[in-house]
Amino acid sequence: MSLAIDLLIATGLVVLAWQALVGGSLFRGIVMFIVFGLTMALAWARLGSPDLAMAEAAIGAGVTGALLMIAYWRLRALGANRPAPRSPLRARVALGVGLLSAVLVAMIGLAAVGAIGPGGEAGQALAEALPATGLGNPITGVLVIFRNLDTLLEVAVLLAAYVASRAVMGDDKAALPLPPAQDAPLVGALVAVLAPLAVLVAIYLLKAGSQLPGGAFQAGAVLAAGGVLLMLAGRLHPAPLCGVGLRIALVAGTVVFSGVGLIMLALGQPLLAIPGTWAVYLIETAMMISIGATLVLLFAGSAGLTGTPRR
Amino acid sequence: MTVLLPAVVVFLLLNLVAGLWRVYTGPSAADRMLSALLFGSTTVAILLLLAQWQDSPALRVAALLFVMLAAITSIAFVAMVQGGAARRQPATRANGTKS
Repeated sequence: MSLAIDLLIATGLVVLAWQALVGGSLFRGIVMFIVFGLTMALAWARLGSPDLAMAEAAIGAGVTGALLMIAYWRLRALGANRPAPRSPLRARVALGVGLLSAVLVAMIGLAAVGAIGPGGEAGQALAEALPATGLGNPITGVLVIFRNLDTLLEVAVLLAAYVASRAVMGDDKAALPLPPAQDAPLVGALVAVLAPLAVLVAIYLLKAGSQLPGGAFQAGAVLAAGGVLLMLAGRLHPAPLCGVGLRIALVAGTVVFSGVGLIMLALGQPLLAIPGTWAVYLIETAMMISIGATLVLLFAGSAGLTGTPRR
Repeated sequence: MTVLLPAVVVFLLLNLVAGLWRVYTGPSAADRMLSALLFGSTTVAILLLLAQWQDSPALRVAALLFVMLAAITSIAFVAMVQGGAARRQPATRANGTKS
């Protein structure tokens, strides 16, 4: 019976990925991608990775679906409805990029197949070292303590992605158009319930992440989903300038993480040594704020946010 | 229970396959969106069943996140439709009928 479940999920993922890419209709591709995200969460659930199922749920349901919908609306509003003309050069570049991506995916897949499970040397070392850190969730332990340089770089990459998106957008003060806000009574009531709930759930995920599945990335994605909701409901608006608070939120993860690491270096410890559980919480909180702020700003496609609409 | 739970999961997954047909054929964008929302609810059900069957309570948190955030995509969809994409471009509907 479990084989039937796995086969259905695996076949569904391949078919959905294919349909999301080839569809003759752009909107169908978007819906297929949303369903792909749901199925991916089921795949992670079957693979015994609730952390990833949560991340997929928060990102897929909270951010990506709305982002693709709004991008579709913007494409139409800007009149870029027609697909770009096919040219041989474009096709050749696409083929090259596609092949390179396929090689990359195949290499990662091979590495994953060859990876040693929790019983291996690294897994045993982790199981032995984890209780001393006071953490119960091995994933948080690896992310924040044992392999924290990778995590620091991930947060830095997110910041770099935002800066790069600003560079591509240019210094254009006119933000991308957003569809008119939904201020129907039902949406207002929903926002009144969901926005505080998103903050509560984000803090829960952050707190639970030290012992149970969860953590800064999931919490940040839930915060971002709350921001996206506020924006769709017309409570938050894109602004041409980035306020001081938002700037601090954007860099908080990178600055706090590397700051803790550098202070430990100055105290004679190894670089990025984590002094205790409190430092884990401090770093994760800063990362959550940064991830949430970056995702909301990427969704807004603007430099800043404001509570009052621009006239 | 050890037989019933996975059997229900398979049944729900087959439901998803049936709903996929509606996403594929449309005809209108709203039809596709509605079946995507149905998929969201079914995914929550499957996650809850898996949480019980695989004895991994954390999956219930994933299900909670899906329930909490499911409305966001539909609000974006309504904003998109009311924002004039459908009116300015009759293609949105034709888009669904064809292809």
